Amino acid sequence: MADDVRTGVRPGIRSRGPRALSTRRAVLGGLATAGLAGALLTAGLLPSGASDKATLYLVQGLPGDKISFTVNGKTLASDVAGAQVVGPFSVSAGKVTFGFGWDGKQQLTRTMEVKAGSNSDVVLHLPAQGSGETVTTFRNDLAAVPQGKANLTVAHVAAVPAADIQVDGKVLFANVANGESLNLTVPAETYSVKIVPTGKDSPVILGPLKLSVKAGSLNRVYAFGRPSDKTMNVAVHTIAVRNSGSSAPNRVPTGSGGLALDSRPAPIGELLR
Amino acid sequence: MQSGCAGPQSAAPAPAAPSVRSSANASSTPAEPSPEPVREGRPARPNLAFRPTRIELPGGSSAAVVPAATVNGVLSVPENVQHVGWWDGSALVGDPYGATVIAGHIDSATEGLGFFSRLLSLRTGEQVVVRGAAATDAPDATVRHAAFRITSVRTVAKDALSSDSQAFEQDGPRRLVLITCAGAYLPSRGGYQSNLVVVAEPLG
Repeated sequence: MADDVRTGVRPGIRSRGPRALSTRRAVLGGLATAGLAGALLTAGLLPSGASDKATLYLVQGLPGDKISFTVNGKTLASDVAGAQVVGPFSVSAGKVTFGFGWDGKQQLTRTMEVKAGSNSDVVLHLPAQGSGETVTTFRNDLAAVPQGKANLTVAHVAAVPAADIQVDGKVLFANVANGESLNLTVPAETYSVKIVPTGKDSPVILGPLKLSVKAGSLNRVYAFGRPSDKTMNVAVHTIAVRNSGSSAPNRVPTGSGGLALDSRPAPIGELLR
Repeated sequence: MQSGCAGPQSAAPAPAAPSVRSSANASSTPAEPSPEPVREGRPARPNLAFRPTRIELPGGSSAAVVPAATVNGVLSVPENVQHVGWWDGSALVGDPYGATVIAGHIDSATEGLGFFSRLLSLRTGEQVVVRGAAATDAPDATVRHAAFRITSVRTVAKDALSSDSQAFEQDGPRRLVLITCAGAYLPSRGGYQSNLVVVAEPLG
């Protein structure tokens, strides 16, 4: 039975609208992805000075725990349940220290060298095997996407070995290990998604579940949890991006000479004027 | 993990003064270990989808492919009839779904026969090769290429083109679609009355 996937972004802190726009402005000043910087240079929106800020989101990939999140000692979020995405948070570029707490105390710390203008997901999750927890950061590619399409990026942050992600019955993302991601540009639709061990059809790690991919956005899908605990789930993080390309044409007028008089496909030598 | 020792041991003089050393280390305070850095997620492999920059037809002739935009409902292909245009809202070569649409002039009043006049002689089963540069910011500059096998060559009335299921749709199986003009040429009715639509499926 397919389940619907909830977005998991905490209400009121969604990655769309004016705050998303401000997120993109923060990206522009520094080392933005080439596509986005190029498009916005053309539009004259690139600011002249470099920003020393960056944008972060937290993706809570530990099933069952409600965690608190600190950056340089300051609490930015608390009671974050598994699958939730919180943010955006604006931080200064440079070395930052994250703290993650649950069961009443800080459990884990990590440092990150934050680059100016960057936009990243900070993901707390289980390692592929063994005990403990780990933190992996993923840069968000905010390049423009064509109308009606999306950048679908799947990431493996679960306690399983390398996996294949099947979309509508076909392996679209192959051999993804814990800490890795893959991306494809796809039409914005609802897809049936199933995760299996690489090269196999069973045992099913997660799914089949229905995934609604949002147009005009980066759609990040994180598979997290531990199958043996029956805690496998997905966290979904969408960020609106700019539109590239143009809409479908109604007409393709491609001839004005009247030279190709014969409408039936024929050898070129038989065309007469 | 290093522990810094602030005690006198770190500045111990030469072995000639052993009485300075304290074996208990009670006065030293190891510095707290600094946290580990986060792990950086990375792509399992690069996305190799590419924008077409060159198309090669059966027989070996090839032409440059440039991006073409739809303006007011009309796909504006390059005026130079020896070049062809890739609709910039269509799939990259290597995207999992949808038509990669390339259109070009069959001819023009000023330049004679165009590169895509060759489409009239294409047959089902023949191969077309498309080359291009990587869409993503890949560090290697390898020119990518993909081969397609023609599955249909059809004439479509020009007003029926936009509703033709194979021509422009961006969902469904990935395919290459080549479009030019065809059919009767009626100057009083805007010229060619039809489009020639060649559809090809990816090989390998």
